[in-house]
Amino acid sequence: MSDRHDISLQTKETIIDVIAESIRRKSQAGQLASENEIFQELLNRDILKGDREESQRLFKEALEETLNRYEDLEKLPDRGEGPRFYSSQFMTQSYTRILLQKETDLLLLIAEVVRENSAVYPRPVSLDLFGDSPFNLSQDQLQGYLQQMAKEEGYRDIKQTTTSAGNVFLYSSLHLEPDYASMLAEWFDVGQFNNP
Amino acid sequence: MLRRGGALIMNHYEEAQKLLGKVLGSLGLDDELSRRQFLKLSGFSIIGITALGPGLAKGSAKPLIIMEQAEGIVLADPTRCVGCRRCELACTEFNDGKAQPSISRIKVNRNINFGPKGLYTGRDSLGNWGNGLIIQDLCKQCPHPVPCANACPNDAIVVKPPLNARVVDPDRCVGCKMCQKACPWEMLSFDSEKNKATKCFLCDGKPKCVDACPASALTYASWQDLTEKVPPRAVPTAVLPPAKAAACIDCHKK
Amino acid sequence: MAKHGGWAGKVLRIDLSTGRISSEDTVEKYKDVLGGTGLGYKVLWEEVAPGTKPFDPANKIVFGTGPLAGTGAPCNGRTAITTLWPTCWPKPLVASGHMGGQFAAELKYAGYDGIIIEGKADRPVYVSIMDKKVEIKDARHLWGQGIRRTTVELSQQFGPEVCVAAIGQAGENLIPMSVVMNAYSHSAGGVGAVMGSKNLKAIAVHGTGSVTIAGKKEEWEKLVKLHLSLLGANNQHVVPSSPQPWAEYYSPGSRWKGSRGNKWGASEPAIDTGICDPHDLNTIAYRTNNAAFYLGDIAWKYTVRGNGCTGCPIRCHTMIKVPSVAAKYGISEVGMNTCGGLNFGRSFFRKFPDGARGMTSMEACMVGMHMSDDYGLWCNYSQLQRDFLKLYETGIIKNKLGEKEFNSYSWDKYEKSDPSFLFELLPRIALKQGELATALGLGTGYMLETWSLSEEEWKKDNRLSYWKMGHPKHHASEEVGQCGVIINTQYNRDPQCHSHCNFTRNGLPLELQKRLAAETWGTQDAIDALGSYTPMNIGKARMAKWSLIRKELHDSLSLCNWMGPWVASPLKERGYRGDDSMESMLYSVATGDPKSREELDRVGERIFLLHRALTIRDMGTKEMSTQHDTVPEWVYNDQEKRPAYTKGTTHLGRDDVKLAMGMFYEEMGWDKTTGAPRAETYRRLGLAKVAEELGKKGLLG
Repeated sequence: MSDRHDISLQTKETIIDVIAESIRRKSQAGQLASENEIFQELLNRDILKGDREESQRLFKEALEETLNRYEDLEKLPDRGEGPRFYSSQFMTQSYTRILLQKETDLLLLIAEVVRENSAVYPRPVSLDLFGDSPFNLSQDQLQGYLQQMAKEEGYRDIKQTTTSAGNVFLYSSLHLEPDYASMLAEWFDVGQFNNP
Repeated sequence: MLRRGGALIMNHYEEAQKLLGKVLGSLGLDDELSRRQFLKLSGFSIIGITALGPGLAKGSAKPLIIMEQAEGIVLADPTRCVGCRRCELACTEFNDGKAQPSISRIKVNRNINFGPKGLYTGRDSLGNWGNGLIIQDLCKQCPHPVPCANACPNDAIVVKPPLNARVVDPDRCVGCKMCQKACPWEMLSFDSEKNKATKCFLCDGKPKCVDACPASALTYASWQDLTEKVPPRAVPTAVLPPAKAAACIDCHKK
Repeated sequence: MAKHGGWAGKVLRIDLSTGRISSEDTVEKYKDVLGGTGLGYKVLWEEVAPGTKPFDPANKIVFGTGPLAGTGAPCNGRTAITTLWPTCWPKPLVASGHMGGQFAAELKYAGYDGIIIEGKADRPVYVSIMDKKVEIKDARHLWGQGIRRTTVELSQQFGPEVCVAAIGQAGENLIPMSVVMNAYSHSAGGVGAVMGSKNLKAIAVHGTGSVTIAGKKEEWEKLVKLHLSLLGANNQHVVPSSPQPWAEYYSPGSRWKGSRGNKWGASEPAIDTGICDPHDLNTIAYRTNNAAFYLGDIAWKYTVRGNGCTGCPIRCHTMIKVPSVAAKYGISEVGMNTCGGLNFGRSFFRKFPDGARGMTSMEACMVGMHMSDDYGLWCNYSQLQRDFLKLYETGIIKNKLGEKEFNSYSWDKYEKSDPSFLFELLPRIALKQGELATALGLGTGYMLETWSLSEEEWKKDNRLSYWKMGHPKHHASEEVGQCGVIINTQYNRDPQCHSHCNFTRNGLPLELQKRLAAETWGTQDAIDALGSYTPMNIGKARMAKWSLIRKELHDSLSLCNWMGPWVASPLKERGYRGDDSMESMLYSVATGDPKSREELDRVGERIFLLHRALTIRDMGTKEMSTQHDTVPEWVYNDQEKRPAYTKGTTHLGRDDVKLAMGMFYEEMGWDKTTGAPRAETYRRLGLAKVAEELGKKGLLG
């Protein structure tokens, strides 16, 4: 009985190590970790084996202990797809918000990014931003969302302005006046490069 | 000449055996030793023997021949080098307390503009004036026979455990620069402000250059033999001191 | 060997007229002005009489480094070059150019903190400094050759480690719009022709000596690491340019372009720039990519790596390899530069068929660099190109040129934005061939005069970015409101000051910026959000004063003006705070002369004041407010005639600017109306003799 207990302790420590390492590694790479992914990794590496129910139980225990033990490992609220995990050592809360929102509601994500930029820096946002990581939207997808936004009540504040270079920027009229937004867009798209 | 030299060595060996017995006893090694093992061991515990029998070590006819292999080495990736010279600055500022890249133990500046070949060779050059590639020159912590150590007439290049980096002992260095002439890769530096040679000693396992590189172009790794992989920069013109030459023959004849 | 830390110990003095070479003790004679621009202003004040002209043998050219040059202090590879300025119009006055590369470090290792060049050689010469061996040598075989050949030939003679600062044909031909250049791509604008007027082709320097660090080596190592930990990317931008996992904030204005997925594509094999987490000091070199910043993401594919000054981890000179230009234009496929230098070629063209971030634009940059960095042409912060565009588009070129000369240019190529047009224009400017080339080579002020064009016209058009005295603005009201205006009034060329805009453009959100501003300049009102300007206040005057002092301090210590000061940092755990006493800490430990932030700032203020004194003396007036510290009309204009301080505008109110200047003068201890420093201010800063001399001429405030 004590033998099994020892083995189980050893295995649990290994599982904890893997969980921690996995979450941190994914955070560094700009990804959130999910329970399923981590569990699958443990199976693939043969650290968890045998009885499925027993493995699940052990995993859940180890996961909770991992989160308690390491300050940098955080759990994000379950938005219906299961909880997500990240390491605050490698990822910021603001980045997790983008990633979470990306999974659930892209329309809202675009709007929130535009609103946040318009309020906090403040500045409008180039459409190009949404084509790059971590958004990775195609031109078609983006245009689709913009069209949708134009129709919906909750997105009335999301406006567009075009610079002299022909590039489109988005801003929220809740935080930026049209003149102001267009001046800022012009600065970020053209002006700052003319003032190296 | 050889016989006389041999006789000298024999006399010293008898004395040395007594001392050695003490040293070996303290190390827990009681086996009978062959001459070869003795030579190896004398490299290891030269400091111990010096402490016990200074007359033996100083001006002794038994020369220091480094046999131990180094445990570490600094490796360089030329494609990542951005030519900032912070490695040279860290090496000298953090070790010598002055910025003097010309005596840095990692050498980059000589290759920065035109590459290791030095002269402008048009678009086939390396360096900033060629294709941009900067070769970082590093000490290979050569295995036996160690050219710089063997060339030193005063046994001033020793190994420093536990890494066994080949290190210039400034107390023994007389400033003759023979070691500089011995290194095929011209890696020995000479500090003319102190009149001493100096070379890469791996910073006790935490090389300052590796730490300082802003482009991650340097790594500290387990030792590997690069002596036959990197083309030499110069033709060595050093001369092996006669006592060392004798020791070489003596050892290898067996 | 130097007795003090930092300084090498000697300032070299070379009289090209007599061939006499001598040296002075740096610390004994120049410690109170540190080096760099401080050294330059002091020499000019004491040794060059008012009324001297830039090409007179009596003019001097002072190459100055500082006590931190050649050390491991990050961002220190700078040389300031001070002289009477050829493009300063209508009357030449003191100004400085700034050169990076390898020169400063090599000069320090050779044992010198600076070089004072006097007189004029009777035939082309170059100076060689090989440690203590200094010689003036025949340069007739180099005269007429470009900067590149000059460098290569001198390297063949003195070895591959020699650093050569050389002028090209532009400097030889006394073209005011010329540079001196070292290490392939590092130029100091505006001084090439002064060297040319002295028949000085180049200075070749190599040193094997040392720069002593006075403090304990462990202490120095800790300090250097602290400094490294606070570094951002080029221009001390402290957030990445797009959202990154490790970052709370980001900004499209940031030069922190490195991140996973972005590769140095022309390296073999390609190198992913990686995560570039600010805590990783071994990846600082991957953060900045100025080619990608200016030329668009297309540039990643062509990036070999970063390059730059000795000792700097930032590597803001991006090396790009563009194979197409070899076949198309017959030039080298490798080029490198930063900012204005990088953009030299493309700035001549209004637009490109494939856009501002396409291949043609990049090719134009390559063609431009190939010629400007060899002929040694200066752009005057791209004023050359802006003037050219205006002159062409308004038909002035067509009017001023005879038919023959006009038709000798392939204007059809120019209209199509064909980079090969530059082969017709740039060499002619350097070789002074034709009216257009000659006019452009004079610099804006003398060009306007020669062609009887109105400076007022130039001052009204904000597209021209013209400010005064023949030079453009450089980070003025269009981005830093009143603070920017004040800074731009103070010099005899564009101010080359980045203290203010490095901060305002660092990418942090407004609230954080205001908090840092409050901590540094006493009030959060010191800065406004871009385009949401408010009327003048004392905080802005303090920020302007700080900006100017730090600019001089950096130029005199040898710290880069494009990488500091370090008010902000990328570190969340520090609340994004940097350390505003970074300069004084480095100075204290390196030299062994302990100075607090305030004490070192006083030295910076002394240096800046010396520049003010020189300007007043050589202008022969104390009415600086109306005669020198002028503001162009475009600063007050808005295209849509909106009132100043409306959100979305960057123009300012006339009265408010007047108030701003008055507040600044008061902050500086200068006469509130004239802007002339008072006697007690000079005395307070250790310049009593200066006050005495100016007093005799009635030039005190």
